Amino acid sequence: MKLLLFTKSKVHFQALFVFLFLFAFSTTKLVAQEDGEKLFKSYCASCHSTGSNQLVGPGLAGVSDKYEREWLYNWIKDSQGLIASGDADAVAIFEEFNKIPMPAQPVNNEQIDAILDFIKASEAAAPAAEVVVAETTSESTSGDGSSDGGLFVVLGLIILFLIVISILRGVSHSIQTVRAEQIGAQNPEERTMLQAFFDWINANKTIVALISIVILSFVAKLGWDAAVDIGIYTGYQPEQPIKFSHKLHAGTNGIDCNYCHSSASFSKSAGIPSPNLCMNCHTYIQEGPQYGKEEIAKIYAALDFDPVTKKYGTNQKPIKWVKVHNLPDHVYFNHSQHVTVGKIACQKCHGPVEEFTVGKQHESLTMGWCIDCHRETKVQMTDNGYYDEIHKRLPEKLKAQYLEDGTITVSELGGIECAKCHY
Amino acid sequence: MSNNKKYWKGVEELNETPSFQESKNKEFSELIPVEDFLGDANLLENSQTTRRDFLKYLGFGVTAASLAACETPVNKVIPYVVKTDKTSPGVANYFATSYFDGNDYCDILVKTREGRPIKIEGNKMSPLTKGGVNARINSSVLSLYDGNRFKSPMIDGSAVSWTTFNDSIKKELSAILSKGGKVRLLTNTIHSPSTLRLIAEFKSNYPEADIKQVTYDAISYSGMLEANLESFGKAVLPSYNLSKAKSIVSIGADFMSSFPSSIELTHQYASGRKPENGWMSKHFQFESSMSLTGSNADVRVPVKTSLHGAVVANLYNYIAKKVGASSVSAANIEIQERIEKAGEHLLANKGASIVLSGSNDKSIQVLVNGINDMLGNYGSTIDIANHSNERKGIDGEVSSLVKEMSAGSVDALMMVGVNPSLTMPSSINFNEALGKVKLAISFASRPNETTTNTKYIAATPNYLESWGDANPKTGYYALIQPTINPLFDTKQFEDCLLSWMDKSESYYDYIRATWESTLFANQTESVFFGDFWNKKLHDGLYISKPEVLEPIVFAGNVSSAASQASKIVSSDWEIEFYEKVGIGSGNQASNPWLQELPDPISKITWDNYLVMNPSDARENGFATEYGEQKNADTVNLTVNGYSFENIPVIAQPGQTKGTLGVALGYGQAIGKKNEVIGFNAYPAMAMNNGSIAKYSTDVSFVATGEDYQIATTQTHHTVMGRTSVVRETNLDTFKNGSKDDYNPAHILSTGDGPKDVSEIDLWAEHPVKKVGHHWGMSIDLNACIGCGSCVTSCNSENNVPVVGKDEVRRSREMHWMRIDRYFSSNPEDVEQRNYTSMETPEENPQVVHQPMMCQHCNHAPCETVCPVAATTHSDEGINQMTYNRCIGTRYCANNCPYKVRRFNWFSYQNLNRFEALNPSQDDLGRMVLNPDVTVRARGVMEKCSLCVQIIQTGKLEAKKEGRKVIDGEIETACASACPTHAITFGDLNDESSLVRKASESNRSYRVIEEVGTQPNIYYQVKVRNTETNIA
Repeated sequence: MKLLLFTKSKVHFQALFVFLFLFAFSTTKLVAQEDGEKLFKSYCASCHSTGSNQLVGPGLAGVSDKYEREWLYNWIKDSQGLIASGDADAVAIFEEFNKIPMPAQPVNNEQIDAILDFIKASEAAAPAAEVVVAETTSESTSGDGSSDGGLFVVLGLIILFLIVISILRGVSHSIQTVRAEQIGAQNPEERTMLQAFFDWINANKTIVALISIVILSFVAKLGWDAAVDIGIYTGYQPEQPIKFSHKLHAGTNGIDCNYCHSSASFSKSAGIPSPNLCMNCHTYIQEGPQYGKEEIAKIYAALDFDPVTKKYGTNQKPIKWVKVHNLPDHVYFNHSQHVTVGKIACQKCHGPVEEFTVGKQHESLTMGWCIDCHRETKVQMTDNGYYDEIHKRLPEKLKAQYLEDGTITVSELGGIECAKCHY
Repeated sequence: MSNNKKYWKGVEELNETPSFQESKNKEFSELIPVEDFLGDANLLENSQTTRRDFLKYLGFGVTAASLAACETPVNKVIPYVVKTDKTSPGVANYFATSYFDGNDYCDILVKTREGRPIKIEGNKMSPLTKGGVNARINSSVLSLYDGNRFKSPMIDGSAVSWTTFNDSIKKELSAILSKGGKVRLLTNTIHSPSTLRLIAEFKSNYPEADIKQVTYDAISYSGMLEANLESFGKAVLPSYNLSKAKSIVSIGADFMSSFPSSIELTHQYASGRKPENGWMSKHFQFESSMSLTGSNADVRVPVKTSLHGAVVANLYNYIAKKVGASSVSAANIEIQERIEKAGEHLLANKGASIVLSGSNDKSIQVLVNGINDMLGNYGSTIDIANHSNERKGIDGEVSSLVKEMSAGSVDALMMVGVNPSLTMPSSINFNEALGKVKLAISFASRPNETTTNTKYIAATPNYLESWGDANPKTGYYALIQPTINPLFDTKQFEDCLLSWMDKSESYYDYIRATWESTLFANQTESVFFGDFWNKKLHDGLYISKPEVLEPIVFAGNVSSAASQASKIVSSDWEIEFYEKVGIGSGNQASNPWLQELPDPISKITWDNYLVMNPSDARENGFATEYGEQKNADTVNLTVNGYSFENIPVIAQPGQTKGTLGVALGYGQAIGKKNEVIGFNAYPAMAMNNGSIAKYSTDVSFVATGEDYQIATTQTHHTVMGRTSVVRETNLDTFKNGSKDDYNPAHILSTGDGPKDVSEIDLWAEHPVKKVGHHWGMSIDLNACIGCGSCVTSCNSENNVPVVGKDEVRRSREMHWMRIDRYFSSNPEDVEQRNYTSMETPEENPQVVHQPMMCQHCNHAPCETVCPVAATTHSDEGINQMTYNRCIGTRYCANNCPYKVRRFNWFSYQNLNRFEALNPSQDDLGRMVLNPDVTVRARGVMEKCSLCVQIIQTGKLEAKKEGRKVIDGEIETACASACPTHAITFGDLNDESSLVRKASESNRSYRVIEEVGTQPNIYYQVKVRNTETNIA
């Protein structure tokens, strides 16, 4: 998985490189748009969105069509000045947004142009993104029906098979009758299909035995697989109280995993963010791209927050999420050991979470899966005084033995011993 | 072999009784209890269920269970709505606070997880207790989750709101106050500066009323306070420094367990018991019942409590003669020679000695002060200027209060931190007097004997939910802070008093104000109060400048004291009232951990009983051996006219002949079914010489002919007669002899000549040496006093289940750690037993306390016999137990030479048989569980894991910070709880670690090393400061 990610990003970089090489001199427009995004993020994004939703200030979709470019230059560079000069549009906006002044931005006209171009470009891109989201959702819901469909196919095949056999039998019987008539022999005895079947079995015991063995082994294999899967919930994807999308937050918006799951770096549990953390952004972002206000309103309900007055009430209720990754009680797992000490990427165990719209269990979380990884994974020994000390104590013989393959794995330092996880 | 003493755990073993012979070879005292779930055999034979039916049900059951198991469990994960900054799921927080319940004082750290206190540890910053705790204090976290606690205030037995409660009290109180009525506060000892200020303010607010605080200590040191008032003009307890004392003589003072400041004294005592320093204190103990302190003494002299006055007077005379002071009147007693020996040793260490007495008789204490004064101990080992505030109760004031109450002149009585209906002598008639008080208010956290007699019950929070401060010693201040939001609708006494005074400020503000105006004002380290407060709250304590030692002038009247003290009342029998190590004064009798902690001396759990010398018991025809099949005999006992019926008699080696002993603090209802454990002995006490006497000569008993089941762990888990488990020597041999004299290596003869046992191996060497860590432990038998603090600390850290009396009787206690108490006697004494000797070995045996838990053998016998490899060895030297792999064959337990493995016979956490007493049976009690440790299922083995969860956490912290593990930062629960620092834990591969040094010391040995187990737990030979070579 890690390797896959790596090659992916490599491809991405190569493409970017070729792209830049080809267009660096000729297309200033693209550069401007790149700059526009950067500028928008650093100067505008804290109060404005590129869509039509309102944060602190209004959504900026269609802003260049609504106002003259010159007016926009003046407004952005010195909105208070414009209001003071008595400009009607400026005063109207100021009144509409509760007289919250927009601070003067240190940007020049070219930069403003770049920003406005970027806003325009994102308007064009937005509907496309929504389609993508919709597609993945439908995909994830349709997945469940596949096993039923398979059963119908098998049943259909069996019925078809029986029909073909009975037709063939009829044909064969007719042929035999015709033949008997032709050679003047006695008509073959009329026999039921079942009798014929048993006769055939009696005549071909070896083949029947072989077929039975094959069928029994197949059933046994199915049974074994089913038994092995007991307690394994790979792909477990329960419905959550809030339709939170990691794809949107971690993928599209690129929020670091540790921003919300901060305790993964220092605690046993990664932690589910408390709603007050959500409010760092959602105080302003009150509308999502797919579900609009409905889902975000659930955070507000939990905190008893009024999005209009921006005041908190006292009737707070916690959000009851459904736990996706469940380990048995007799297993001790510590996130910080893996994240901070082992420097393991979240995706290694949780899969490409940034692509999930609904959280799901990506790996099997079985003990075999843990142990396999502990056998292969190299211990991050560099610049860690703890491992320096441990390494220093190793006798030369063992050092040589461990370092035979050039690495010291987790299991070589006792990482597959029982009491590392069970106590 | 230099040591040929005989060691025995009980009278059974000493006498090698047939039942002991039979049981000692059994790992499990009985077969698997199939009858329990199949009913009795008759029923089974007459059953209508056919075999076929049985198989059908079984088949259906198995299928149903496996189908049910296939269903995906839906677990919810609920984050905080608004997360506080420092509370993160999975991370433990520690808060410094202090514990004082009127008896024990200790500076502690409370470990909380997800906002729940789960463990009590000692505060290592404390110069008093130095990180030690005792069993009562580290078990106190469980009392927080007691389901019987009051959930709201009560009026006339029904729950009311605080508004209603306060309104009705204010109405009645203001009527009393305005007409100048008598208001009395009956409290335990209070040394909180803020509470004392508040009470003073309450008094001055109503100058027209007659308000008075009366301090009542259930276990009183009133005699000592009054003696110090007479001798030095201060009614206080002195501070002692046992670490400087080379000679310690205690006359009935159990300073390791029940005496005020016992944790502090225990630590001081142990620091003077290190033979490596070249000297060791010598400890003489004169006592009647064998106490924890007596069991650790170098010289223990059994003497009746009624003769303690004479002992002190004779000791006074002996010293007075040598220093040239005038002698006092003293009755002649038999043990003159032994008193002189003690006196001689005291004189040889003038200025570096201590004489202590536990008596509540003023005259004895005056004489003791006189002796200490002659020895020049004041100013060196005893400090009156920087005194202790831990006891303040004067018995005379209490009895006059009760007289006032009986006369009907007390209008209002507030009872705080006391349970007088349980603890007052019956002759005082407290309950009758209480009925005559117009307004009686009881402050209590759970129902008790007093609350059933009072109309108003103010539900108080546990100390872990309260604010407070403390001043246990002059210049020593500590804070008490809540570590959890109050679980129930409770209010502390101080907050109630504030609201009754119509003050809007909370007690928290009040404490801050006290500290700002007094302590902050007199210091220079912080400029701002907020800074000062936060620092002190973090540390939990504040030490202001100590008082300058002023020259002490002793003004006690020794001659009148002596004539009073050495009066001898002769009687056939006398009885002593003592405190047990687990239950103490009975404040926490409702705590199942403490009830299940075997008493260090008798090893009996869940009971109160009458102790008697074994030879006395035999003479009176009482059983001297107890087990699952053998019960104790019972008697009807009458003390001071108060009768007890059907109480068990226990033969206790070391009990002075002609004396009895009974523990206080029992007889309280505990658990969901309000089961009464033991009987209450307090009412039988009586006033004598103006104070409540801790013994009585007015005692008689009659055998009832009935018997009583006793749950004792005395002979459980014996080590098959391999008595090399204990090694001891005396100071001379240690100082002048070589290692071979007191700690010889085990040499086995082989075909190649004699070889050290460590050179002979059945298996290849386990690669623990030099690879990474190698965890090990060293236990100093010289420092271990057997107090059991480690046992309860282990229970709390490792979720060890409570099994109850019946299971303990069947040897099924689950404690991972036990303290083996071996009695020993010199071979000559045992020989003499066959002749007509005066002294039998059980009359005054020596005692060794040996903590025993999994020895984490590098060549563990348990590991090789496990058929499923559920117990294996780690590269770090830990013998790992994997519960999810264990199938419960119990081969490992059979093969363990140390008998430290425990089998889970039942699901203690949900089987209704354990419902009454097991705290983890309800949601409240489960809050105390350590979330890092599995709650073991039925049918698996468990044992000490060397607190692997603490090791893993410690290693992880080091890894995260990118540094090596610092010696001492990882400490097992037992090591951190030990008040004497007898247990050292660490990495044997770290050459500079304390445990490595200990393992290489001359006193270091390993238990049953001769069988080649190579344990990772080292013990240090016990060194006694005795004259004759006992080795």
